[in-house]
Amino acid sequence: MNPPEALPEKFGTDEWVAQVDARRAGGGWIGKLGARWGALPISWRFLGLLLVGAIIPLLIHSDYVLRVIGTAWLFATLAVGLNVVVGYAGLLDLGFIAFYGLGAYTYALLSSGHFNVHLPSWLALLIVAGVGMAFGLLLGSPSLRLLGDYLAIVTLGFGLVFVQLGLNLDRLNVPWSNTPLNITGGSNGIINLDPLHFFGFSLSTVANYYYALLVWLAIVLLVIYRLNQSHFGRAWRAMREDPLAAEAMGMPTRRLKLFSFATGAAVAGVTGAIFAAWQQSVFPNNFDTNSLINLYAMVVLGGVGSLPGVSLGAGILTVVPELLRSPELSRVIFYMGLALALVFLIRPRRNGLAVLVGVVGLGLILRLAVQAVAPGLVSPPTIEVAAVSISSGFERASQSFGVLVQRWILLPKDPNTAGNLAYVLLVPALLAWARMKPSRWRTLLLVPLLYLLSFVWETRLSAEPAITRLLLIGTLLVILMIFRPQGLLGARRVEIA
Amino acid sequence: MAQFLSQAPQQIVNGLTLGSVYALIALGYSMVYGILQLLNFAHGDVYMVGAFIGFGVLTVFLPDAGPLLPAALVILLMLVAAMIGCGFLGVAIEWFAYRPLRNAPRIAPLISALGMSILLQNSVQLTLTAQFRVYHTEKLIPISAGVDLGPAHLSLVRVLVIGSAIVMMVGLAYLVNRTRLGRAMRAVALDREAAAMMGVNVDQVIVLTFFIGSALAGGSGVLTGLVFGRIWHTMGFNAGLKGFTAAVIGGIGNIPGAMLGGLLIGLLEAFATGFISSTYSDVIVFVVLILFLLVRPRGLLGATGAQKV
Repeated sequence: MNPPEALPEKFGTDEWVAQVDARRAGGGWIGKLGARWGALPISWRFLGLLLVGAIIPLLIHSDYVLRVIGTAWLFATLAVGLNVVVGYAGLLDLGFIAFYGLGAYTYALLSSGHFNVHLPSWLALLIVAGVGMAFGLLLGSPSLRLLGDYLAIVTLGFGLVFVQLGLNLDRLNVPWSNTPLNITGGSNGIINLDPLHFFGFSLSTVANYYYALLVWLAIVLLVIYRLNQSHFGRAWRAMREDPLAAEAMGMPTRRLKLFSFATGAAVAGVTGAIFAAWQQSVFPNNFDTNSLINLYAMVVLGGVGSLPGVSLGAGILTVVPELLRSPELSRVIFYMGLALALVFLIRPRRNGLAVLVGVVGLGLILRLAVQAVAPGLVSPPTIEVAAVSISSGFERASQSFGVLVQRWILLPKDPNTAGNLAYVLLVPALLAWARMKPSRWRTLLLVPLLYLLSFVWETRLSAEPAITRLLLIGTLLVILMIFRPQGLLGARRVEIA
Repeated sequence: MAQFLSQAPQQIVNGLTLGSVYALIALGYSMVYGILQLLNFAHGDVYMVGAFIGFGVLTVFLPDAGPLLPAALVILLMLVAAMIGCGFLGVAIEWFAYRPLRNAPRIAPLISALGMSILLQNSVQLTLTAQFRVYHTEKLIPISAGVDLGPAHLSLVRVLVIGSAIVMMVGLAYLVNRTRLGRAMRAVALDREAAAMMGVNVDQVIVLTFFIGSALAGGSGVLTGLVFGRIWHTMGFNAGLKGFTAAVIGGIGNIPGAMLGGLLIGLLEAFATGFISSTYSDVIVFVVLILFLLVRPRGLLGATGAQKV
C-alpha cells in the first residue's frame, strides 16, 4: 500500500497559485529560514512567539516602549476579532470600533466611582462580553436578513450614534428625577476607573497590563484558530466564497453570520474593557471613525483572513507611526523607503537606479535654474544641525540629511500655497500613473512624479503628520485592494466568475 | 398640542428643504447601487467636494464690494461648476478605484470605496484646512425675501433649493425614462450581461451613471451651502449616511423611491429636531433605519424580486 499522500500545505488553494507562492518563498537564506519556520508544528510556532513576547519586558525597562508594544498587542487582538467577521465570514462590519467602545464604557460603568459600582473584574469582563454579544445580535439580526451591504451601513450608523451618545448622554432628562442623569460623562468621559483585579491581585504597572494584553491576545488567537479549524470555520469560508451555494447545501447561513458577528463583538468588547482599565479612563473620541479606519488598514495590510497577517498588520501600523514622530527621522525613512522601492520593485534593476539618478539630477537642475533666474523665490534650509554636545550622532546625521534634502529641493518662500498646488497636481497624476500599462514611458514618467512627491512631502506633508497618516492609509486601502487584495500574508484566492 | 400645531408648518418647510438635499444624495447612491450593486462610500465626500467647488466660485464672483454678476447667474454658475466638477470626480473615482475590481469579491470594492472616502476628506483638509467655511448667501439673496404662509415663513433661499432639486429630479426622471441612455441604464441594471449582448456599451453606461449621480451630489452640496451656510471637510460623512438611509427606505435601486425616501428622512429629521431634541435627531434617524429593515427590508417602493444566481 502506498503511503498516504501528504495534503498540500494550503488546502483549498489553487495548485498554480501554490506553485507561484513556492517560487516566491524560495531562494536566499530568508526564504530557507521561512520554510524551516513554516515546517514547525503550529503549536511550537505559537508558543515561540508567545515566549518572545513574554521576555520583552524583562529586557526592556522603558515604560514608553512597553506601552507601544502593549498597544500593538491590543490592536492585534482587535484585528484578530475583526478578522473573524471580515476575513472568515466576509461581512463588512463598520461598527466594530463601537463594540470596542461599548465594552470600554460598560466596564467603566461597572467598576468606577461614577455610579459607585465596583464589581470584581472577572464578573465585569463576563458582563462586557455578554453585552457585546447581545448588541452584536441586536444589530446583526435585522441587517443580515438582507445582503451584507446593509450590514455595512447599519454598523457604520451604529458607530456614529455610539460616539454621539457618548458625547451627549451626560445630561439625559429622566421622568423620575429632577436633575438630568449623567451616564457617559459627555466629552469629559469617565475617569478614575478601577484597575483590573483578580482574586486579590491588582494590575497596576504598565508591565502588568502588557502581560494582561499578551495573555488575552493568546487566548483570542487560540480560540479563534480552533474555531476556524472546526466545522464553523469551514462553514464560514464556504459562505464567504458563495453564500447562495452554501445555503443551497443546507448551511444555516444567517445563524453562521450572526455567530461570527457576535464573536467579533464580544472580542472587541472585552478588549475595550482591558483598554479602559489600562487607561483608567474612557472618552468618546477614543472610538471615532479614525480608529476604525486604522483598524481596517491593519487587517487589509496584513491580509484579510490570515491570523498571522492581521497580527503583523496591527504591529506594523502601531509601531511605524511611533517611529515617524520626529520629523527628521520620518524624512530619512520616507526617502529611504522611496529609494529602496525604486531599486527593488523596478525591473530590470538598472532602470530603477536610472530613475533614482534622474530624480536627483532633475532636482539639482531645477534648483540651479531657479537660483540663476529668480533667486528670490527659494529660501534657505529651515533645519539646523544641533551642536555635538546636546544630541546623539544619529540625530545629527538625520538633521544633516534634512539640510541636504532642503538644499536639493526647491524650498519656496511660501511652502503652503506651492505645496497645496503641487498636491492637487500630484494626486491625479499618481492615480493615472498607477493605471498605466507598463512601458518605457511609464518608467520615465516616474522621474517628475517622484520629484513632485518629494516637493509635496517637504512643503506640506511633513508639516501635517496626522493628515499624512490618514492619506497614506486611504491610499493603502485602495492600492492594496487593486494590486494585492490578499495583503502581506494572506492567501491568494482564485476567483471563479 | 397647540405648540405642535403652530410649529408644524415651519418644520414641514425645514424638512422639505433638508429632504430635497438628501434626496439628491440618495439618487446617486441608488443609481450606482442599481447598476453595480456597489455601496459607494465616497459619495458623501463627492457631495462635500461639490460644496467646496461652489464656495470657490462664490468667492471669486462675490468680492466684498458686492456680486460681479446678477445673483441668479452667480448661483447658476456655482451649481453648474459643482455639478461638472463632481461629475468628473465621480468618473475618476470609478475609473481608478472601482473598475479594476468589477469582478472581485464583494468586499474588495467596499474597502476601496472606504479608502477613497478617507483620501478625499483628508486631501481637502490638507489643502483647505479643517476650518468651517461660510457661504455668504445673504449677499446674494436678502434674508427677508420670501413669502409668509401664515404660521410658516418660506424664505426665497428655501424656495430656490427645493425648486432646483425638483428641476434636477425631473431632468433625471426624463433622462432615465425617455432617452436612449436611460433605457440602456435600466437594461444594465436589470441584467448586465444580457444588456452587453444586446449591444449596450456597459462601461460607457456605468461611467455616465457615475457622472450623473456625482453631479447630483455636487449640486446638492452647493444647495446645502446656500441654505445652511457652513461647510466643512467631514460634512459628507453624515450626509452620505442619511442619503443612504433615504435610498434604503425608498427601496434601493429605485429612483422615485430615493426621492421619496429623501423627503421622508428630511421631514423626520426636522420634526425630531423641532420637537424632541437636536442632539438625538441622528439617533432617531438611525433607529428608524433599523426598524425599517425589520418591517419592510426592500423599502417603500422596492420590488421584492428573487435573487438571480
